[in-house]
Amino acid sequence: MAIFVDNDSKIVIQGITGREASMVTRHTLAYGTKIVAGVTPGKESQNVEGVPVFDTLKHACQKWELNTSVIYVPPAFAYDAVMEAIGNEIKLILIITERIPRHDVARFLLAAERANCTIVGPNSVGIINPGDRVKLGPIGGDNVERCFIPGEVGVISRSGGQTAECSWMVKRAGFGVSTSVSIGGDPLIGSTPKKNLNMFEQDSKTKAVVLWGEPGTTYEEDAADFIKEGGFTKPLVAYIAGRFVENMPEGTVFGHAAAIIEGDMGRPSSKMEKLRDAGCYVADNFNDIVPLLQEAMAK
Amino acid sequence: MARVLENIGKEILRKNGIPIPDFLVVGDIKEARIAADKIGYPVVIKALVPTGKRGKATAIKFAESSEEAEKIAEGILHTTVYHFPVELLLVEKKIDTSYELYSSITFDTSRRLPIVIASSAGGIDIEKSVKTQSKKIIKQYVDILEGFHLYKAKEIWSDLGLTGRTLQQATTILWRLYKIFEKYDAYTVEINPLAVTSRGEIVAVSILMGIDDDALFRQPDLSDKVEEGSDRSWRPLTDLEKKMITVDKQESYRGTARYTEMEGGNIGFFCGGGGGSLLAYDALLRFGGRPANYTEFGGNPPEAKVSGIVKGVLSKPGIKGFFMATSITNNTQTDVVASGVVKAFQEMNVDPEKFPIVVRLPGVNDAVAKRIFIEAGIEYYGDEITIEDAAQIMAEKMKKAC
Repeated sequence: MAIFVDNDSKIVIQGITGREASMVTRHTLAYGTKIVAGVTPGKESQNVEGVPVFDTLKHACQKWELNTSVIYVPPAFAYDAVMEAIGNEIKLILIITERIPRHDVARFLLAAERANCTIVGPNSVGIINPGDRVKLGPIGGDNVERCFIPGEVGVISRSGGQTAECSWMVKRAGFGVSTSVSIGGDPLIGSTPKKNLNMFEQDSKTKAVVLWGEPGTTYEEDAADFIKEGGFTKPLVAYIAGRFVENMPEGTVFGHAAAIIEGDMGRPSSKMEKLRDAGCYVADNFNDIVPLLQEAMAK
Repeated sequence: MARVLENIGKEILRKNGIPIPDFLVVGDIKEARIAADKIGYPVVIKALVPTGKRGKATAIKFAESSEEAEKIAEGILHTTVYHFPVELLLVEKKIDTSYELYSSITFDTSRRLPIVIASSAGGIDIEKSVKTQSKKIIKQYVDILEGFHLYKAKEIWSDLGLTGRTLQQATTILWRLYKIFEKYDAYTVEINPLAVTSRGEIVAVSILMGIDDDALFRQPDLSDKVEEGSDRSWRPLTDLEKKMITVDKQESYRGTARYTEMEGGNIGFFCGGGGGSLLAYDALLRFGGRPANYTEFGGNPPEAKVSGIVKGVLSKPGIKGFFMATSITNNTQTDVVASGVVKAFQEMNVDPEKFPIVVRLPGVNDAVAKRIFIEAGIEYYGDEITIEDAAQIMAEKMKKAC
C-alpha cells in the first residue's frame, strides 16, 4: 500500500515531447514505472522513448484506460491542459509546471474539486512509491535509490529539492519511505499537508511521517489543528525552514512564492509552536530529523 | 509578484468606472505647489511609494494653502518611507469625508478561493477591526468559476448597514473592483479608505494593488508599468539586483536564479532550491556566518546563466568567501552548474587557495561535478554531509580566514 500511486496507476504525460519531459520519461521508464501514453498537440503517431504520443487526451483515453496524468506544459497552456485532464476523467493530476498564473490555478483547483479529481502541485517535482517502483515526475532523477528506498515513513514537502533531502534523511536514519510527495511551493496548491496526512493516516504501510514546512500560508497550522482534532494519530516529525525571514522586513519573499510572512501569519516560530503543541516531533535543526525519527519509530 | 504604484492603480480604477479624486504626480517642491494650486485647496500630499500604511508613517499630509503645500512637499520629498526613498509625490484633492468604508479582494490560501472583505469602518485601523472580527466586517469567498455577482456585493453592503444611494454606489464599486481583480490578474486589490463624502458620493481615496508576475505575459498594458520582482523585496531593487534579473532572463528561459542583496556580510551566498536555500541561510547564521546576499537557483540552469549570476554574487564589495549548498538535485545537472561556477571564479580571478569556498552539490551527474571542482582546487562535498554540516564548515573557515 501507498498513497496516490501504485501498480494500478495508468499514467499519461501531457507535454511529453518537451526537452525536460522526454528526459524524465527516460528516467521514469528506467526506474521501472510504466508510462502508457503521452499527449502533445500535432505530434500524434510519434513516440518518446517508445511511449506513443497522441494529439489529444481524448484519443489516448479511447485507446487506453488512463487514471493519472503528469502536466508538463508551459505556464500559458497549463490551465487548458489541466481542464483537459479533468474533462477526460483523469483522477490524479500531478502538475510540474511552475509560474502558472494564480487566477488560472484557483480556477482549475475548484473545477477539480467539483469533479472529485485530486491535484498535486503546481510546482511539484513529483510523487514516488518506491515499494512498487512507481514515480511521477522528475523526483529522484537518474539515481532514485540514493534518496528513495522502500519503507514505512511518509514524506510531505513544500520544497521539491527537500522532498529528496528529507527522504534521504529517512534513509540515513535507517528507514525507507512508503510515499514521498512534493506538494509544490506555490501559494495555491491542490494537495495540502492536511490532505496528505489524512491519506497517510489511512495507509496501513505508513508508520510515521516527515513534514518539511516553510514560512507563509497556514498549511502547517492547519496540519497541527488536524492532528489535535485526532485526524492524524501517527508520529509526525516536522522541520520548518526560513526562521531568518522573521527578522526581515514584513512582506519579503525568500525561496518559494508562498514563503511570505504577513503580520502574524506564516511565521516559522508559530508554526513550530503549534506543531509542538499538537504533540509532533519538531526538529530545531535539520540534522535532528534523524534522531527524532528514530525515536518516533521506536515507539 | 509586482506592486503597482498608487497613480497607476488609480488610473486603472478610473478606467474601470470607480470614482477617484483628481490628482497629479510631481517630482519637486515647485511642481507640488503648482499642482496644488491647480487642483484647489485643501489638498492631500502623499509619498508615491509602493507600500501601504503610509498614513502611519506620516507620509500623507494635508495642505490648505500654497505655502503649506510647499512646506509639506519639502518635508516628505527625499525622505524614506518603509525603506523606499520618496522621489515622487502624489498631490490630490482632499475629499470631504463623512465616513470611511473598506474593501479588498485577495486569495485565501487555505480555501484557495478569492475572498472579498468589506467593512463599514474603513481607515487606518482596519487591520485591528479585521482581527477583532467586529460586526462591521464581512468576509465572503467567491466561487471563482461562477464569478462575483452584483447582488452579492449588494448583500454585503446591505448587511453592513448601507442603504439608499450609498448602497447602490458601493455595490457597483465593489462589483467593479472584482472585475478589476480578474481582468488585471491581480493577487490583491484594496481600497482603503473608500470615502463617503458629505454629499453622499463614494470615492476611492487610496488603492493598493499587486499584480501576479506570472501573468504579466498576458497583461501587455501593465508590463511597462510594474516592476517585476518588486514584491520580493522590502526596498527598491538595487542596481545589482536589476542586473541579475536581466542575467536571469537573458540566458534562455531554462533555470531560474533570484538574487537579493543583504545588508553587510562577507559571504557570497549561492544556494539551490527554494527550500534548500532557506535551510542553508538559517544554518549559516546559526553557526556565526554573515551572508552578504541571498541567491537561490534551480530548474537546471545553463552554464552561462550560472557563471553570470555567480559573478554578480562575487562582485558585491566586501565579499571574502563563497558558500554554495543545494538539496540533492532531482533534475538540475550538477556538472553544468559546476562548470558555470568554476568559469565565474576564473573570470573574476578568484584564487581558491586564498578565498574560503565550500560547495555541497549532490545530484544528477555529481561524479563529474566533483571532478570539475576538485580540478579547480575547490573544496567539494556531495551527499556525505548535510547542508547544515556544510554551513558549519563554511562558518569555521571564515572565522579562520578573517
